[in-house]
Amino acid sequence: MKTVATIAFRNLSRQKKRSFLLGGAIAFGIMIVTLINGFAGAFSANVAENFSHLLAGHVFISGSEKQGDKTVSLIRDDAALTEAVRAAGVPVAYQTRRSEFSGTLIFEGKKIRTNVTGVDLESEGYLRERLLLKDGSWDNAKDPRAVILSEKIAARLNAQVGDKILVQLQTVTGQNNVGEFRLAGISYDTGIFGQLLSYASLEYVNELIGLKPDEYQTMGLMLDSLKATEPSAAKVYAELAETVSMFERGKRDEGGAQTPFQALLRQQRQEDWDGVRYRLFTINEVLSQIEQIVAALDSAAAVILVVLFVIIMVGIANTFSMVMFERIREIGAMRAMGVRRGSVRGMFLFEALFLAIGGALAGIALALVVMAGLSLIDFGMDSPAFLILKNGRLSFYLPPMRAVGNVVVIALLTLLAAARPAGAAAKLEPAVALRTQK
Amino acid sequence: MKRLLLSLTVLLAAAGAAFGQDVDRILKDLDALGDFGTQDFSAVYTIVSAKPGEKESVTSVQLFRRDVKKQFTMIILEPEVNKGQGYLREQDNVWFYDPTSRKTSFSSLKENIQDSEARNSDLNLRGFAVDYESAGVREGTVGSVPVWIIELKAKTDEVSYERLTLYVAKNQTVLLKEEAYSVSGRLMRTTVYGRYVRLGGKQLPSQIIIVDELNPGERSVLTMTQQSVARIPDDVFTKAYLERTSR
Repeated sequence: MKTVATIAFRNLSRQKKRSFLLGGAIAFGIMIVTLINGFAGAFSANVAENFSHLLAGHVFISGSEKQGDKTVSLIRDDAALTEAVRAAGVPVAYQTRRSEFSGTLIFEGKKIRTNVTGVDLESEGYLRERLLLKDGSWDNAKDPRAVILSEKIAARLNAQVGDKILVQLQTVTGQNNVGEFRLAGISYDTGIFGQLLSYASLEYVNELIGLKPDEYQTMGLMLDSLKATEPSAAKVYAELAETVSMFERGKRDEGGAQTPFQALLRQQRQEDWDGVRYRLFTINEVLSQIEQIVAALDSAAAVILVVLFVIIMVGIANTFSMVMFERIREIGAMRAMGVRRGSVRGMFLFEALFLAIGGALAGIALALVVMAGLSLIDFGMDSPAFLILKNGRLSFYLPPMRAVGNVVVIALLTLLAAARPAGAAAKLEPAVALRTQK
Repeated sequence: MKRLLLSLTVLLAAAGAAFGQDVDRILKDLDALGDFGTQDFSAVYTIVSAKPGEKESVTSVQLFRRDVKKQFTMIILEPEVNKGQGYLREQDNVWFYDPTSRKTSFSSLKENIQDSEARNSDLNLRGFAVDYESAGVREGTVGSVPVWIIELKAKTDEVSYERLTLYVAKNQTVLLKEEAYSVSGRLMRTTVYGRYVRLGGKQLPSQIIIVDELNPGERSVLTMTQQSVARIPDDVFTKAYLERTSR
């Protein structure tokens, strides 16, 4: 067997140009597939991490209170929540308290609908680090009626820092209200999510939506890392369930909800309760549709893998048929000297296997080099694609088993492509092979 | 002297109570004016909306009401692109039907009719006496017509506007003007009831002008035509009717 493998390897070396072209085709195919896999691997983590910064948390707790027929989103007293988080012993980097509303900003005849998040602009240091201001300053945010708008929204309103902007909204109970903001800063636009980025003082947002100054709607727990999200959520939920009324987590919904988060909201509409009931959800649940994008990317990679390798397989099958014809007298001589049919077949298959493994490893190595190169480019935190970037740069994660799986698939497909010419070579009669004229 | 002060206080309190009762009566009268009770009511409303820098838009809706059951059906007749869309109210639930998707979704009385300043609630049964209480009354004029200016404060947070100011004609109880204020006390919209017609023993506004006070220059004029109190078939107040008429 070792001798057969050695001969196969030498055969590959004899035809360097051909081996290089065939191996190169395999390497190119595997490089493309690895790049897509690597991008998809980091995609969901990057989106989740960036969203967790926008929403200020990996784990969220919000309260819902039944007031007659209405359900009002609010947390009145968070002592029990804070205690449960402490008792759960989860790695909380910091804790945020936020309220928000969807309203219409009006300025000099122009208007735009947007979400405004009420935050503690003074103490949320992390927000200051993440939200880069193009114009204005965080010092302006000391104004109790300060608002920070994204570049796109400010441009649509044609508003400048210092301008007074009206906001029309509804309170948590559905009454019409009007407020007046002062534009304290304009943040860099972050693509399609630019409209998410309007921030105002929590106290003023509470006043506008009809909550008391010490009330709010959502508690966010920013953890040490995204990986800690699910275990931490489970621990906090277990602690909370002992002290306060909670909506069930992870309940399967057969009513058409597409994500666990939608199922949780549907549950809220269907159930009845007294006082405030809390729901706990994670960034992964909010973004669970992202997983569908990742699955689509992986499916696309699989389709590309198949299409590329069907083409490459045809090439390999043809090349090996040609190789067999070129070496027909050599095969005849080997057979005449006592080499068995199985060894001849094995020689061809080893050649194909070496080609596949060599090409695949080269492809993965190339992909890693390209990934490293791409991840050096700094697109900046103000890039429109910042949500899929990691700190402003492209990032990749290639699950090791997926890389191994790709190599195995390539090896099997290549062996399959070479099987017919290898079988034909093995079946050659020595005398017939020796007298064949090329 | 003490007796005089006491008498004056009693007199003022009695006058206040009497006036309070008058306000309650005015509010109830206003509610009764727009309530057809066991009679059905139907009409076509044409809404012409103006916005600065935009062409005037025209929306036309066919309205059917059965106030005794708190039901209404409203079908969009114009613009052509939205023709067949409809709203259905059954008690406190309002649904919206979209013929393009053929789906019905939850809606609300607070929703605007198309892109106009008018809301679904503007064409429906009002409940001033139920939802609001008097916060003050004074005399004034609208044009040359003497009016009671009644300031109302919401009794609950169920209503769209926490404060209203009503201008009610003194000579006959009809609403001439209404100002709606936000929770923060800012004037949000003014509604002027330009003309009234008599129908089924009721006084109905046939022309309503709604001015958006937050967006200068934005206003809608509603004109009522083809008003009738003829009996409406029961199946008009069903989702099936919305689906059928949209075809």
